[in-house]
Amino acid sequence: MEKPIVRLQNVTKRIGRRTIIDKLTLDLPLGEVFGFLGPNGAGKTTTIRMMVGLMSLTEGEIFINGHSITKDYEKAIRHVGAIVENPEMYKYLSGYDNLIHYARMIPGITEHRVHEVVKLVGLEGRIRDKVKTYSLGMRQRLGVAQAILHKPQLLILDEPTNGLDPAGIRELRDYLRKLSKDEGIAVFVSSHLLSEMELMCDRVAIIQNGRLIDVRTIGGSETAAVAARVFIEVDRPQGAIEALLATGRSSIFEGEQAIAVEADRDETAAINAVLVAAGIKVYGIRAHVKSLEDQFLEVTGGERIG
Amino acid sequence: MGDFLQLVKNENMKIYRRPRTWVMTGILIGLVLAISIMWLTFGGRDASMWDVAFIEASVLFLLVTIFTVVIAAGGVAEEFTSGTIKLLLIRPWSRSKILLSKYVAIMMFAILLAVLLFASTIFVNWVAFGINADPEVVPNTIPNGDSPVSYLMQYYALTLVSLVVTVTLAFMLSTVFRSGGLAIGMSLFLLLGVNSFILLIAMLDYKWIDYLLFIHLNLTQYLDGNPMREGMTLGFSLGVLGVYYILFIALTWYIFNKRDVAS
Repeated sequence: MEKPIVRLQNVTKRIGRRTIIDKLTLDLPLGEVFGFLGPNGAGKTTTIRMMVGLMSLTEGEIFINGHSITKDYEKAIRHVGAIVENPEMYKYLSGYDNLIHYARMIPGITEHRVHEVVKLVGLEGRIRDKVKTYSLGMRQRLGVAQAILHKPQLLILDEPTNGLDPAGIRELRDYLRKLSKDEGIAVFVSSHLLSEMELMCDRVAIIQNGRLIDVRTIGGSETAAVAARVFIEVDRPQGAIEALLATGRSSIFEGEQAIAVEADRDETAAINAVLVAAGIKVYGIRAHVKSLEDQFLEVTGGERIG
Repeated sequence: MGDFLQLVKNENMKIYRRPRTWVMTGILIGLVLAISIMWLTFGGRDASMWDVAFIEASVLFLLVTIFTVVIAAGGVAEEFTSGTIKLLLIRPWSRSKILLSKYVAIMMFAILLAVLLFASTIFVNWVAFGINADPEVVPNTIPNGDSPVSYLMQYYALTLVSLVVTVTLAFMLSTVFRSGGLAIGMSLFLLLGVNSFILLIAMLDYKWIDYLLFIHLNLTQYLDGNPMREGMTLGFSLGVLGVYYILFIALTWYIFNKRDVAS
């Protein structure tokens, strides 16, 4: 792995006697969309708040681009763009004035860049209107615009798909992927929408009750090799089971007009061949791959907040 | 890193793009006009422009204070209530500098209102009472021997000092409570409520009363030479105000720097 852009080392946050975040250690490399997944109240937003310096750390350190967020804040935050929770803007200003406001705070952002970003998030038509007239989706776009205004190396987005319609979500997803691949920046996205994360992220960290439970790679070959439950729709389930038992398979479940077996990709093909050879009509094969959601519920044990 | 003036520009934008700022400014100048016109209508033209200007200044400066307190109390608190504080703080600026830019913008607004009041009272009353004035008419609210201009200047200078302290107090309350309504309410209560019975408190014969903030907020008591409590001097009052000022500033900055931003 390359030199990480973000290092969280033993990050701990205690408020009173309650430990909100417990010894969180995590490295994020450039060029990756990294998902931060957890049920409500797991500590996602608290972690993000500490990463951008809105909250102090009780213990541990966070380094961004090698600069400590606690000791060298101005340098550490220089290359970070973020939305924390909802993108709250100055409602009495126009979208454009909001962007100018943030552009003024970082040297070197030209008016040209502001227009470029406005175009990128597709707000050209409404950018001169007051933010109070914006829909939630438009505010979300404006939030993304202010976060990428200064071409950050690390983009932190807290629940970015909140309030976006399906087309907007898709657009955002494609855009984030493009940003991470083409510009090589690191994108850190938090969400409790599992299916969304599956489509958007390269890796996902799962946290629960302030503890890092697991870090997983999404997509890769490992998921394909994992044995999954395969449903096979046939005309004679009884005959199909007999044919398969003859090949030495066990644990076959019988259903009405279908059977279910545990098999990986290659085995599925072999089973199909056996059934066809036995003269059984196969209408459909459906592999039920464990989704991130299943994995997530498995790992967190479907536990409740508390 | 970066240009601090840009931050002040931002804060100015947030003050002057809001209609309420212009409504308040309009009310202030409107009242100057209204008082002068009413005086002209019911009192005739045989008053000195300086008298009218002075009386308007003494009445309307309270309004300047109230309006600036409203803006100051909103300054930090509204960023918290609207949630914009999060996006404001995650920029390559220390919290101290962001707070300072707000403070500078608010002080600029305070001075702007005071200058507007001064200019409008002088101009309106010069038009109403000053042009071709009867040379027999002399100002009688202003002590003999003083030139009216220098007396008014001194009056404004002394009120400005208390304005700065009061606004700093409101700014502190805004930072501590993070609620605009509460900060405005508290500041105005302290300003109007306590000031109205401060004369009673001033009569009590305890030493510690000499160090109360509110005894010193009306510095114009020294202009006519009869202070609220015996033996107090302008220097002493300025000293006490100075200590309070430093205390307010230190507390404001300490709390703003220390605080976790969570909503």
